[in-house]
Amino acid sequence: MSRFEPLNAGNLRSDGRRPLELRSFSAELTTHPSADGSASVSHGLTQVTACVYGPREAKNRAQTMHDRALVNIEVEVAPWAGEVRRQRTKGDRRTAEFAASVKATFEPVIQTTLYPRSEIDIHIHVLQLDGGLLQAGINATTLALVDAGIPMLDYVSSLSAGLYHTTAMLDLTNLEESDLPSVTVAVLPRSGKVTLVSMETRLHVDRFEEMFKLAMEGGKVLRGEMDKVVRERTKVLARQMEGGAAQDEDRMETDDL
Amino acid sequence: MPRDVEPSINQRDFIFSAIQQGLRVDGRSPLQARKTTIRFGNSLGWVECSIGETRVVAQISATVTRPYFDRPFEGIIVIHTEFSPMASSAYETGRPSEEEITMARILEKTIRRSEALDREALCILAGQKVSVPHRETNTKIVRGQQVWTLRLTIQFLADEGNLLDCACMAAMAALRHFRKPEVEVVGDEATMFSPEERAPVPLALHHQPLCVSFVSLGPRNTPVMDPSRLEEQLAHGKMTISLNAQKEICVLQKAGGVALPADEVLHAVNVAVSRVRDMSDLLNRSLEEDSRTRVIEVR
Amino acid sequence: MLTSPGEVITSAMEFMRGHGTFVEDGSVVASLSGTIERVNKLVSVRALQTRYHGEVGDLVVGRITEVQAARWKVDVNSHQDAILRLSSVNLPGGVQRRKLESDELEMRKFFEEGDLLVAEVQPMHGDGVLSLHTRSLKYGKLRNGQLISVSPVLIRRRSTHFCTLPCGVDLILGMNGYIWIAKHVAENEREGEEGFDAEAVYSNKNDDIDLETRAAISRVSNLISIFARHSVPLTDTILAKAYDWAVQQELSPKDLLRTETGDNMVEMVTALA
Repeated sequence: MSRFEPLNAGNLRSDGRRPLELRSFSAELTTHPSADGSASVSHGLTQVTACVYGPREAKNRAQTMHDRALVNIEVEVAPWAGEVRRQRTKGDRRTAEFAASVKATFEPVIQTTLYPRSEIDIHIHVLQLDGGLLQAGINATTLALVDAGIPMLDYVSSLSAGLYHTTAMLDLTNLEESDLPSVTVAVLPRSGKVTLVSMETRLHVDRFEEMFKLAMEGGKVLRGEMDKVVRERTKVLARQMEGGAAQDEDRMETDDL
Repeated sequence: MPRDVEPSINQRDFIFSAIQQGLRVDGRSPLQARKTTIRFGNSLGWVECSIGETRVVAQISATVTRPYFDRPFEGIIVIHTEFSPMASSAYETGRPSEEEITMARILEKTIRRSEALDREALCILAGQKVSVPHRETNTKIVRGQQVWTLRLTIQFLADEGNLLDCACMAAMAALRHFRKPEVEVVGDEATMFSPEERAPVPLALHHQPLCVSFVSLGPRNTPVMDPSRLEEQLAHGKMTISLNAQKEICVLQKAGGVALPADEVLHAVNVAVSRVRDMSDLLNRSLEEDSRTRVIEVR
Repeated sequence: MLTSPGEVITSAMEFMRGHGTFVEDGSVVASLSGTIERVNKLVSVRALQTRYHGEVGDLVVGRITEVQAARWKVDVNSHQDAILRLSSVNLPGGVQRRKLESDELEMRKFFEEGDLLVAEVQPMHGDGVLSLHTRSLKYGKLRNGQLISVSPVLIRRRSTHFCTLPCGVDLILGMNGYIWIAKHVAENEREGEEGFDAEAVYSNKNDDIDLETRAAISRVSNLISIFARHSVPLTDTILAKAYDWAVQQELSPKDLLRTETGDNMVEMVTALA
């Protein structure tokens, strides 16, 4: 551990990135045909898939609410996801806490009041884990919800940041996460407000602000990346549908002749 | 899962309109906490903490066990929290609720992950297992790899809001108050002395983190410190910050809920700093007072 | 014009907000990713992939999920199951008659869990639950065919959703994305108006379907799933054209399932116009 150098003399990190450089981000929409919406997101080596089912008839009648939809989150971390193979039990507290955070993040953002007495089920599968579990989970869920056509007030984009001496760095890997104080922030980019802040390591108050604000800025950048993917997908869908429709109208005209 | 009775619409409207004017139902200002008291029990490491009507008891016991095989030089801390219907009718024994898990996790992060306790100091013998028979009247002999296991049990007696801050305060007070029997190591052999023989020693603590919780209340999401149960139920979001007196943040958790501007988060952190300072002072004062009246050493 | 959640579309002073938008700080903001649609002063966003959003008068195909007191629950791919009241179905012994207690006791004789039906959405009550009726001879239980489900956005509202393809296959394009493909039944062979035959209308038995028709049904179903994969809106004309193409190419229903063949087909058929 002590031999690990988060930032070398050339101002490069252990994986060759600059302090404020993000890992390569990629996302794909509609990865699961059976779900109403799904997305797969990867930040470097961290890969997370989210599937959204619903809004649909609530299975759990006792929990339904007469004025809004119920949001359920299930999280599954693949046993091979981390460096060491580990089977997480169903009631694993860390996973349960993660699910509760994601749920609380999205409940106020989804317009649940449009779907009274229904249920929205979100399944998050962590396939590969190299730091940034929370950020990847939140970003994947945002995209899956957009894909499912569920109305939301805004994107939620999330990013982690860390601090090495006085240098703040963004998007930490597992190695950096276990060695540096880090914070994960989720923002609503349009209003610039934060919905989630999670810090679990010791850090002086005066150092916190810089790291926190950088993570927020990074989150807004990430929103642009996610939006690009969404627009690309929407454009393709729109073109296909228009193509079909235009062709159809032509045909009807010829029919009339 | 029994759902708690939701507050009535009138209650909600009243509290919301009051908070708009900077008032709270119990007469406090938004960033004012209730009265905190700490009471120490007869045995060492038994502490009852109350914030307003919320009451929590923390108790510590220590036993000698083998360490985890991957951490042979560290002692073990086990934190037990259980909600019972005694605290509030909303809780159920057995299956932990989401709320309970979140709370237990924050406590664990605050106490264990921030390394409030020097775990290496809980190690008695790190050497290989040896068996040297030894007999003496009042003392126990321990052999081989041995460490202390501390069990911190947190019992929630009454929930009138802000259980977490209260539980954290009780836990830290209990850790400060507890004494473990003294152990002497000679070679590969450790001797544990009974309290009659040698005075028990306090635990080695690195720092003393305490939790401060805020909720966002009302149409303008006014930050409110030390929420009552009613305020917690009506809140749009909750944020917990745990800090020590050296102004180091140990845990900052705002898990979703209503979105806040960055400045408001930072402002809350600053408020928490001064609140923790007050709480630490109170804790130190109470401990001092207790140690003046308590006889620990028997000579 | 495309948009995505959280994007400001226009000022709320001049425009009214429609579906898929909300108003914040005097501007209309999108809550969905999709195309912006404007009708006079009304601005709305249509998602390109979503569940069925019911409207009065829509024709839907659904599946019974539950039999309750004097009503059925029907899965229509919406955010909640729709309701079909006992009073909204045709009962044996005349089209118009009072519903008796005995009818309530033998509701499973009409529709059972898992049964498929075609129905129309009627004016709903306040809380957004869809309510259906089958009070027409066109509607009712489905048999002699196969269900395929696609995204509801692929079905456009048109004058009739009952189509007959030249290949001898009846098609019911449910607005909710459920499509029923069945053996063609000639108009005059339909269960008669006068002697309303409950046996036939609520029968669970399929008629004899010859091999040729079976092949036609599965060919149409495979074509639909290909179009759905390429998000091409479905109409009877495009399906008829695709069917002709498939027959021309001498493709068996099975051949259509190959990805290249499917891609090829969509390209050919959409380019034909």
